[in-house]
Amino acid sequence: MIPSAPKTIWSASVNGQDVQAIAPSNAVLLDVLRDGVGMLGVKRGCDLGTCGCCTVLIDGEPRLSCLCLAGQVEGQEITTVEGLADGAYLAPIQTCFATHGGSQCGFCTPGFLMSAEALLTKSQTPTREEIALAIDGNLCRCTGYQQIVDSIEAAAEIKRGDAPAANPASDPHPNPHPDGPDEPSMPPGHAR
Amino acid sequence: MAGGYRQQPGASSGGTRKDGKRVAGKQKFPPPGSGGSRPNMAPRDLDFIPESVGGKEPQPAGSHIHDRYRTGTEVGKSRALVDSHAKVTGQAWYGDDVRLPNEIIGKILRSPHHYAKIKSIDTTKVEALPGVLAVATGADAPNTFGVLPVTKDEHAMAVEKVRHVGDLVACVAAVDEATAMEALNLFEIEWEVLDPVFDPRKGLEDQDEPIHWRGKYHVGTTNVQKRVFQEFGDRSLVEDPTASSHGKWRMEGVHHGFTEPHAVVAHWDPNGRLQLYTPQQVPHYVHRALSTVLEVPMHQINVIRTFVGGGFGGKSDPFPHEMCAAILSRKAGRPVRINFTREEVYWINRGRHPSYIEVKMTADKEARISGFDIDALIDGGGFASFGHVTSYYNGVLATAPYELGSFHYTGARVWTNKPASGAMRGHGAVNTRCAVEVGLDEMAEQMQVDPIDLRLANLLPPHSRTISGFRITSNGMREALEKVRQGSQWDSKFRQMPLGKGMGIGCGFFISGSGLPIHWDPNRFPHATVHMQIDMDGGVTVHTGAADIGQGSTTAVAQVVSEVLALPIEMIHVRSHESDTSPVDLGSYSSRVTFMNANAAIRAALDIREKLLNAAWEMLGYHPDVLVLNDRRIYYKHDPAVGVSYLEALHKAQEDKGSLISSGAYRSPPMGGVHKGAAAGLAPAYSFSAYVAEVDVDVETGLVSCTNVWAAHDCGKALNPLAVEGQIIGSCHMGLGQVLSEKMVYGRTGHLQNANLLEYKIPSIHEMPHVTPIIVESSDPEGPFGAKEAGEGPLLPILPAVVNAVYDAIGVRIRDLPLTPDVVWKAISAKTKELGGIDETEMPSPRLEHSPLQSTLVARASEHKDRDRRRQRSEDTTAYVNGVLFGFDPNQPLEGQVEGWKSAVEPVPEQLAELGLAGKAWLKKEQRQMGGEQ
Repeated sequence: MIPSAPKTIWSASVNGQDVQAIAPSNAVLLDVLRDGVGMLGVKRGCDLGTCGCCTVLIDGEPRLSCLCLAGQVEGQEITTVEGLADGAYLAPIQTCFATHGGSQCGFCTPGFLMSAEALLTKSQTPTREEIALAIDGNLCRCTGYQQIVDSIEAAAEIKRGDAPAANPASDPHPNPHPDGPDEPSMPPGHAR
Repeated sequence: MAGGYRQQPGASSGGTRKDGKRVAGKQKFPPPGSGGSRPNMAPRDLDFIPESVGGKEPQPAGSHIHDRYRTGTEVGKSRALVDSHAKVTGQAWYGDDVRLPNEIIGKILRSPHHYAKIKSIDTTKVEALPGVLAVATGADAPNTFGVLPVTKDEHAMAVEKVRHVGDLVACVAAVDEATAMEALNLFEIEWEVLDPVFDPRKGLEDQDEPIHWRGKYHVGTTNVQKRVFQEFGDRSLVEDPTASSHGKWRMEGVHHGFTEPHAVVAHWDPNGRLQLYTPQQVPHYVHRALSTVLEVPMHQINVIRTFVGGGFGGKSDPFPHEMCAAILSRKAGRPVRINFTREEVYWINRGRHPSYIEVKMTADKEARISGFDIDALIDGGGFASFGHVTSYYNGVLATAPYELGSFHYTGARVWTNKPASGAMRGHGAVNTRCAVEVGLDEMAEQMQVDPIDLRLANLLPPHSRTISGFRITSNGMREALEKVRQGSQWDSKFRQMPLGKGMGIGCGFFISGSGLPIHWDPNRFPHATVHMQIDMDGGVTVHTGAADIGQGSTTAVAQVVSEVLALPIEMIHVRSHESDTSPVDLGSYSSRVTFMNANAAIRAALDIREKLLNAAWEMLGYHPDVLVLNDRRIYYKHDPAVGVSYLEALHKAQEDKGSLISSGAYRSPPMGGVHKGAAAGLAPAYSFSAYVAEVDVDVETGLVSCTNVWAAHDCGKALNPLAVEGQIIGSCHMGLGQVLSEKMVYGRTGHLQNANLLEYKIPSIHEMPHVTPIIVESSDPEGPFGAKEAGEGPLLPILPAVVNAVYDAIGVRIRDLPLTPDVVWKAISAKTKELGGIDETEMPSPRLEHSPLQSTLVARASEHKDRDRRRQRSEDTTAYVNGVLFGFDPNQPLEGQVEGWKSAVEPVPEQLAELGLAGKAWLKKEQRQMGGEQ
């Protein structure tokens, strides 16, 4: 093994949990999050800050974790894609990316979700232009962005309360009869 | 038990939270017997059941053979991808997300030379470095591989010589990345540097040291990897044209630009079997190649396809780094992971071929396309990859959607000392399609007719044959053209907008699955196989090898199974990751997956459906013909209360055998001609598309921005309209990149200068126009529920639409792609100079005054529209082959009717002098004809 930078104990709050990781003092945040903390949802696309796949929230602001030394954000609040959902309940932005075609191959999705979440935290009535500005640091090769913007608009609608919230993530069986089991189960004219 | 028994709705149970939300994982999921997660059967969704079987779904293109299996459950409904929740929660596992216990890191040593012989490699110092656990060089794996069996020319690592900067030389595995990187510096290699070739035009000449040697099939001593000649039709029609277009194009190479860099993990398990995790579009070809290279039987290898972070053709070759990981892991006895940097992604390339394309077209006095000559010289880079096929596709995939009087194609693919080109979305068809559509635009301009009407009056009808013998079945080209014309308000904008604003049209057609399986003949295996299994719990497990690369093939398979069995899609579980459990599938290329896998899945599901209906017959006493499947229930058509639940029928059906198991397969029908190369471009169905693009051109800077696109695509039947629209918009994005900004820049010294995403300019959201996707459904007779492809075809028309729109905006035809501001500005300043040095802002905009020919075309198009409708709906089943428009009898061989009707796949000596650039490859003889290497 070749000598490397001295190992330090890095600590921060990741997705609301205080975590510690042993990492070289010159470690990049992306590496520490992926291999030290185990947040493999943070994706490595280019290592140069050009694709936006590694976007995470640092104290609520979207940042590229590949261009950030772990030491720079020591002790700060970091949110990754794994921290968006409330337990089994997906955040509106997550559901909308699924239902509106915002995610095809899905590799850029975590980065887009974080950029979008940062926007929606600030504004729940973004225009399409504001959405475009918020995600222009993220590259997507599958969707052509249009359905991503649609997804973010739909999520904003849910956040504003203009549209109903989504179902829990781990429930693949959303109830189609919210009024209860009294709906007719048979075509009219037949005894139940 | 005739008369059956009446079912009671299930009681609801399950937890709720204090705030009223239901607790995840504890939903009311009634026990087996009541049949599913919802207590009650949903009513039949008549809006999604075709008219022909009593529903309300309109069928303008006529009924379909699969209509009677429609249950209104899934097909035609916009659905989230079934794996979308894994993707939005960060749980989708891509190549770089596989972490095995005790893993070590592999790194690859890459060539610093364009072209050099390796005289010796000394690894002593590498092996001595503490922390290094395995070292491998080309000597460890001398067997060749390649995606096409006819051109296996790749090694895991260079044997004898390297062929481009970045070619693999050796590899090393160490305890961590830093050690592995350090080890790369310790290799001692003695090189003998050779003269490289970068320009494909030079590659046509004889070389001292050709990049590869094909033995008796080698063309002279050139770098020509493949040459193609095809000539069909009546060449005499070309004489005395009313309009003609002659364009010479230079198209730069482009890269897929997927966001996920390649990554691979190899692990030899304790039983000595190789487990290889890789993001692949063609896991089966990797499987084969690994077996060859490692000299291990295929059944001792399990290829595990991870989630694929974008493919677009760029992950459809078996790759040398996959072999390297397996070799290192075998040596070290530990799992080895190799991650690519973005730069390495460009070195392995397989992007679209840089091309020189020449297109000559002529139209006769009735504005029929009489001459259609294409010459395509494509730059293959260092290896063959899919190039054999690309060489054909550049010509043959231009033979529709128009009826041609004659067709002449010469193509050549040349090896150069650059990273290998390969398959990329719209494989081989994109560049020539652009050249052809711009040629049509130019001829329309000369004849003073509307380019859309020119196209409408020259289309091949449904159920016809192209000049090269491709069988066209469903054809929505006409409807696509009409819809974009209407949507874009073409008639009030085209040639009427001010300087700097323009509108252009482009069309395209593409294969829906290659009719010739790469590895399958002559074994006659089917193209696709799907297995299904249902146990007592009622969940359906579908095993398919179809590689979901984000396009949603898993979703498509789940949807068709769900549709046939009338089960909620949550009850369908698709397993497609492992070669151990999935049947062999050729992979995600040539837009074959929806067509072939969904067809195989339908057949497997029909087998199960029959078993369930027979069980219900036994229980209810009603024949399957009068039973209806709907939402987890089978009931008597005329008294829906008489029926059994799905689970009751299932358990009855399982009495004898336990699990219900079925298998379905698909094979394309025999098609096509018998000439050499006839199989290239054959497909069981073809998709069609027409786009109108609107652009703004800044005449002072040459900056082109595309503002609006109306994109109509005939996908047969949209199984999932949301996904089809996503494919259309995504295709626009990729095509716009190629036409406006993307290129792989090779400097004068042959070095790739922009191997990163900063300088390789993929359009960001600000460069994207507003795309209006328009889905055209022509209901293909052989497609699953009528579906055809939607993944690649939609890319083709965007390039010519933009180039034609730029002409409409500034009156300048540019034939150098991409249309970057410098290229456009140069063309503008040449034009202003030609016009006597006027200011750019005073350039005239092109205008259109219709000639008398216009009304001829409109009349012919209207006549053909009626013809097409009758043929599409099978009201007219007479034969139609390319040539009928020119007055030939489709029932007689054309050769007998026309003196000089040609069908040739090799040039005659008299032709050699007139051949174009790529045609020059025919000036050389093959070695065997020269008496060499018998």
